[in-house]
Amino acid sequence: MTKEHANWSPYDFNGGTCVAVAGADYCVIAADTRMSTGYNILTRDYSKICKLAEKSVLASSGFQADVRALQKHLDARHLIYQHQHNKQMSCPAMAQLLSNTLYYKRFFPYYAFNVLGGLDNEGKGCVFTYDAVGSYEKVGYSSQGSGAKLIMPFLDNQLKSPSPLLIPAQDAVTPLSESEAIDLVRTAFASATERDIYTGDKLEILVLNKEGLRREYMELRLD
Amino acid sequence: MEDLGLNAPHSMGTTIIGVTYKDGVILGADSRTSTGVYVANRASDKITQLTDNVYVCRSGSAADSQIVSDYVRYFLHQHTIQLGQPATVKVAANLVRLLAYGNKDTLQTGMIVGGWDKYEGGKIYGIPLGGTIIEQPFSIGGSGSSYLYGFLDQAWKDGMSKDEAEELVKKAVSLAIARDGASGGVVRTVIINEEGVTRNFYPGDQLPLWHEELEPQNSLLDIWGAAAASPVPMTE
Amino acid sequence: MTNGAFEVPAKGGFSFDNCKRNEMLLNKGLKAPGFLKTGTTIVGLVYQDGVILGADTRATEGPIVADKNCEKIHYMAPNIYCCGAGTAADTEAVTDMVSSQLKLHRYHTGRESRVITALTLLKSHLFRYQGHVSAALVLGGVDVSGPHLHTIYPHGSTDTLPFATMGSGSLAAMSVFESKYREGLTRDEGVKIVCEAIASGIFNDLGSGSNVDVCVITKGNVEYLRNHVQPNPRTYTSAKGYTFSKPTEVLSTKVTALAQRAVVTERGDAMEEE
Repeated sequence: MTKEHANWSPYDFNGGTCVAVAGADYCVIAADTRMSTGYNILTRDYSKICKLAEKSVLASSGFQADVRALQKHLDARHLIYQHQHNKQMSCPAMAQLLSNTLYYKRFFPYYAFNVLGGLDNEGKGCVFTYDAVGSYEKVGYSSQGSGAKLIMPFLDNQLKSPSPLLIPAQDAVTPLSESEAIDLVRTAFASATERDIYTGDKLEILVLNKEGLRREYMELRLD
Repeated sequence: MEDLGLNAPHSMGTTIIGVTYKDGVILGADSRTSTGVYVANRASDKITQLTDNVYVCRSGSAADSQIVSDYVRYFLHQHTIQLGQPATVKVAANLVRLLAYGNKDTLQTGMIVGGWDKYEGGKIYGIPLGGTIIEQPFSIGGSGSSYLYGFLDQAWKDGMSKDEAEELVKKAVSLAIARDGASGGVVRTVIINEEGVTRNFYPGDQLPLWHEELEPQNSLLDIWGAAAASPVPMTE
Repeated sequence: MTNGAFEVPAKGGFSFDNCKRNEMLLNKGLKAPGFLKTGTTIVGLVYQDGVILGADTRATEGPIVADKNCEKIHYMAPNIYCCGAGTAADTEAVTDMVSSQLKLHRYHTGRESRVITALTLLKSHLFRYQGHVSAALVLGGVDVSGPHLHTIYPHGSTDTLPFATMGSGSLAAMSVFESKYREGLTRDEGVKIVCEAIASGIFNDLGSGSNVDVCVITKGNVEYLRNHVQPNPRTYTSAKGYTFSKPTEVLSTKVTALAQRAVVTERGDAMEEE
């Protein structure tokens, strides 16, 4: 009994991978639907993607309990925002809110690794990528979670992003068309599933564009 | 992540027993081998042959008790050839003791040696952890034995018949199986006397049922089905 | 040559030279490198006329799949095979070593190897290293005394069973055996149950994956069915394929000629010492 107490941890790791790619007039947000702990699969059908506002979609992996708490908190904050301002929060505003929320728990962090995708006020795709304590960056594409170390180099190779230090500032969005971006994301996940044991089962893809929000699925390896 | 202890060394949380009776000895054991909380073998044989007339009940680390009994069997083979006649129970037990005592810092095993020889008849020797050796009319060992001291103090009688003694062994092991989570499976017995050796096997579903034990079921759904006949409202 | 100040490689056994140093470094907070672990499902069963062994083919290094199609059913003797789980290097080394000892033993005796001989050699080695050689094995074979199946744990304990599972997927596989195994299975029934048990490990245990290898051993015959079932094909390949946009640029080139070859003139006896 005493031994169990000494080893107890408030955190678990439930695996999973998230990717987001921003284009000129769209944003693709994708994540697998496997939830696991240790060597066990808890479920093959758990969505890691959460629609926070009309034009902001959050994909998160890490510890499911913390992710859920974070989503609930952001949902509540967004409801208050709607009551106070009578409008939906913009994606960049949501990005700042998420950062503040994460940093608020700097010394007992949410064990959550997030990618926020959406459309900005001009309808241009935007992606924000985070660490667990709220450091964030606006990028053209990103990946977080257990398969990120496999997917990120592939995206870097295919979609070279301009240095954020360039003057004048370069546009971060990728030059791909929407269908090309989806094809890239599908390939990235099929490949990550081959080598990451925590990624698999099913891929959920959300596409945000001027028509609205579209959702599609793709089968992944089940082993 | 829950730890099943699958990487823990294999150990036999065990119930083992040896009793003397009128004409010889009876050894008994359960058949469960576990790694942590996983039952790695539910039909193991913990009563190992050393010679034609001497057997040993093993408890503790499976690896340690196997290597000790393998060595002792090997030594006894040599000894039997050199002597030109069967080894005595005392010699066998003393060899076990020699290894258990000499390697006490590395071995995690307790054993009960039992057998019959023409000089002393049926004999039981208990060899617990540190390498002590005790000749006893009956001996118990393993994690299940703590449930049995009182029972055997009361139930063991000098000069029992073979059937009485086997019934006692069976009863003792099944009692321990009922209470000790680390013991289980079937009951195995070995009867050794002047006539030779008899091995018996009593499956888990044919053992006596003790306090609050349930009848063996093919499926847990059968119990559920019976319970569902008198519905209990679900509460939050 | 000078008098033996050279480091001569040891003839046998392990080198423990740096154990004390490594222990100290570990205590100071150094992270030891990880080993290739075969988070594995391996199984075996006895049927009507022999033994069937089965294994998945995934090898992992932490959360990463290091090998998608490795072989976990090792050759021991013409009539004996052995499935290995645990540290890949240990299972490989220990089975190779015992396999060679068995071959020498066959030359010596002129008889077919027995499964019990392999079992004793394996368990003696594992016991000697007190669990530090992390090999968990399922040993199966058919010899002069019939079919045999054993499990061997890293600490050197062994079991003899009609059906056995090992590795991180052992619980998933055992649930299949416990509900479907019976005495007197035919070859095809046996192979089917073994495949099902391995598949259960592949799909339910993250440490196991990819394909099913099966090995059917009967009196005088072995069928090694490599990749008998392949239940995990890649689910998506882009129609257009991918290219690397730009290779690394060559900035400058300079060719340096090789040094002139030295000419050695021999004098005296070639074998003569100075």
